[in-house]
Amino acid sequence: MALSLSKRAFNQERIVFLITIVLFAVFAVELNNFLAPANLLALVRSVAVLGMLGMAMLVVVLGRGIDLAIVANMAISVGWALQLIAGGMPVWLALCVGLGFALGMSLIGGILIAYAEIPSLFATLAMATFIYGFGRAHLITGTDVVYLPKDMGLVAQLGQGVVAGIPMPIIVAAATALAAYLFLKYTKPGRFIFAMGDNFNAARIGGIGVRPMLVFQYVLSGGATFLAGLITATSVGAMNTRIVNSNMIYDVILVVVLGGVGLSGGRGGVRNVIVGTLLIGVLMNGMTIMDVQYTVQNVIKSLILLFAIVSDSIINPRDEQTGQQGDI
Amino acid sequence: MQPVLELKSVTKEFHGVAALSDVNFTLAPGEVHSLLGENGAGKSTLTKIIAGVYEATKGQVLLHGKPVSFANPAEALRNGIAMVFQETSLVPSLSVAQNIYLGNEKFLNRLRGIYIAAQQFLQSLNFHVDPTMSVSQLGAAQKQMVEIARAVHHKAKVIIFDEPTATLTPEEKYHFFSLIKRLKQDGVSIIFISHALEEALEVSDRITILRDGRHIVTDAAANFDRNKIISAMVGRTLSAELYGSAGATRTARPYGRKVLSVQNLSMGRMVRNTSLSIYSGQITGIFGLIGSGRTETAKIISGVVKRDFFHGGETRLEGKSVRYRTPRPAVKDGIVYVTEDRKIEGFFETKSIAENIYLNYLASDQGTGLIVSRSEMVELAKRWTDKLAVRAIDNAASVIELSGGNQQKVVIARALVQQPKLVIFDEPTRGVDVGAIAELHHVINDLADSGLAVVVISSYLPEVLNLSDRILVSRQGRIVEEFSMEEATEEKIMYAAVH
Ligand SMILES: Nc1ncnc2c1ncn2[C@@H]1O[C@H](COP(=O)(O)OP(=O)(O)OP(=O)(O)O)[C@@H](O)[C@H]1O
Ligand SMILES: [Mg+2]
Repeated sequence: MALSLSKRAFNQERIVFLITIVLFAVFAVELNNFLAPANLLALVRSVAVLGMLGMAMLVVVLGRGIDLAIVANMAISVGWALQLIAGGMPVWLALCVGLGFALGMSLIGGILIAYAEIPSLFATLAMATFIYGFGRAHLITGTDVVYLPKDMGLVAQLGQGVVAGIPMPIIVAAATALAAYLFLKYTKPGRFIFAMGDNFNAARIGGIGVRPMLVFQYVLSGGATFLAGLITATSVGAMNTRIVNSNMIYDVILVVVLGGVGLSGGRGGVRNVIVGTLLIGVLMNGMTIMDVQYTVQNVIKSLILLFAIVSDSIINPRDEQTGQQGDI
Repeated sequence: MQPVLELKSVTKEFHGVAALSDVNFTLAPGEVHSLLGENGAGKSTLTKIIAGVYEATKGQVLLHGKPVSFANPAEALRNGIAMVFQETSLVPSLSVAQNIYLGNEKFLNRLRGIYIAAQQFLQSLNFHVDPTMSVSQLGAAQKQMVEIARAVHHKAKVIIFDEPTATLTPEEKYHFFSLIKRLKQDGVSIIFISHALEEALEVSDRITILRDGRHIVTDAAANFDRNKIISAMVGRTLSAELYGSAGATRTARPYGRKVLSVQNLSMGRMVRNTSLSIYSGQITGIFGLIGSGRTETAKIISGVVKRDFFHGGETRLEGKSVRYRTPRPAVKDGIVYVTEDRKIEGFFETKSIAENIYLNYLASDQGTGLIVSRSEMVELAKRWTDKLAVRAIDNAASVIELSGGNQQKVVIARALVQQPKLVIFDEPTRGVDVGAIAELHHVINDLADSGLAVVVISSYLPEVLNLSDRILVSRQGRIVEEFSMEEATEEKIMYAAVH
């Protein structure tokens, strides 16, 4: 079903899409190599993992939650799997162990949120800290960086392969987006997630098993996270656990919010995340070609986010009765 | 005399469809002006334009003869116009007192100070609400009282009440109407919206009737009677049968199987050792004053309240002992609760009418497995919106765009698609117009005739008397008396509820 939001001529999603097009056009005219196919592929590829993490975040945010443990879970689960392989474990087994770890951690987070009723912000913050601390202390025993073992077999193709001229990470990210889209739009649990984000009490009274559904959301997110981590590791040849301490998690929230997904739940979808991710991709790529400093890039990113949100609230004011608490 | 407020040929369109066309309206100083019309006639829209929620597409609003257009309700309030919304707009996480003083805080706020002030203020209105309670803990009626108190507190010159009495019991209504008289004496002009026509006839100086967004008639209240209002509202005279007054001849349905029995149920201070039985194939009405534990009892039975405060008692569904901690197993067993507070827990406001209905259908494990089916959804929605006569542009419109009474019908449709064995309606006709009340009563009667166990909780005595085959009266957390249809009278029920 179409969201009521999309009936508006200019919502945040469209504003952001417009900004993306304008930026794209400006870069295309101003920068020499911008339109080269190789650069465009590099552009999309550079945000493929971010987009996948955005999908993982989306599933949780639509249900009015947030998952701050995504990056930690990705780094530790994949890093541990790589180390197990280096230690002689068969690849498939190590990957199963890694995936099991990622799912298990998000399961625990989900249970804390659904059954112990800890707000998702605190529960996942605690989980992030726990996963990183535990992982570095007991699982990943070497340095911060776990390198990709040589004999990864076909799995290495996830990051390095090219099919019909398109790098695998882009294909996997697109497949993830498609799967998320189909899941959210056409399956019962997908619709229930929207319902819970829109009005949790109404969903509960209606007979939706809201607690199992909450746990399920986080577990799904954990699965997508592991896949994203695997792509990262196989394309750059290592998993650097330091990313847990970078501001990557903010970038993930950024691409979700930028495209117009409401943090108050129930509003938005896969399309919004794609639009947000593409804008970040175009922006970063252009600024990198222009050699803009990293710190300045962050300032520009944040200004664009603010611009998108402010113009949306000016164009589509919320009224007293339809406004929700915590609305973006 | 110059009117306080004047609307000149105001038109309001939503998505190109007119909700109001060319409406004129005046409000004289110190008058009570009732605005009547069917669900979706445009009453709320008209008053929201006055209060700065919407901007008119065409036309003018004059306040004391000067054209105005308020950007938001806060600005309207600064200019002396307050509105009590049909759907509550209180901040749930704040206390009652904080809500009353919201927007009026001093720079340094002493909580104790505002509690004392709020206590005195509420008492002066004769509203019994604890100012320290958080709004999320209040029932629908108490929220309404806080909402009214907040509007009065702002000392507005014009106060708009959009169905303020829908949830109030006779006692609170009495206090509310004496409040209106007092405000009137102080020179406040009042716009009053209600579906209780007798109330409007009694309290107002003038009455304006809208139909399909058009102005039909404005005249002194003395020149109206119930039938005249109804025919102006619906545009034709209706058979007396549809609008039949209370006490028309009917016979009570016989007792069916005992579907539910509740023994010595207790929870906190709200439900104390209460016992009752519900039978299939008949309607059990539950009457009681606000705070008498009706809603809480229903919510325990259907698993809606968490059982953290549960003190014991036994519930048997068809002889089998059950104890629901969440609504899901109750719904699966066929017990469905229809909430009194539709905005808070009744529907998904960003979702379409069709999806709202379909989601509940899916939640009760009906339908085609894991994949949703659009055609099934559309068909289901069509069936139910036809049956309950929901008025909307189409079923893809989101529920928040419906008028209050039509939202209520969607909430009821959501419950009925779950094919319950036992359905508990909590204030089922809240905000529904006279014609639609008759239709909804018809639907509820059909449910009982088809063998369902039906419970109707209502604060509106004529509704309880009109519908019920047997009537339970609740007081201070327990069922204190039971009447058969034949022996029930308004006086007896009221007496049992109060003493
Ligand atoms: N925000 C909105 N978007 C689209 N349509 C709307 C919106 N608000 C109201 N409408 C439509 O305008 C019409 C008038 O609605 P309004 O709420 O004014 O009715 P009402 O007279 O208050 O009815 P009720 O007695 O049921 O409260 C209805 O058809 C409704 O669907
Ligand atoms: Mg209304």
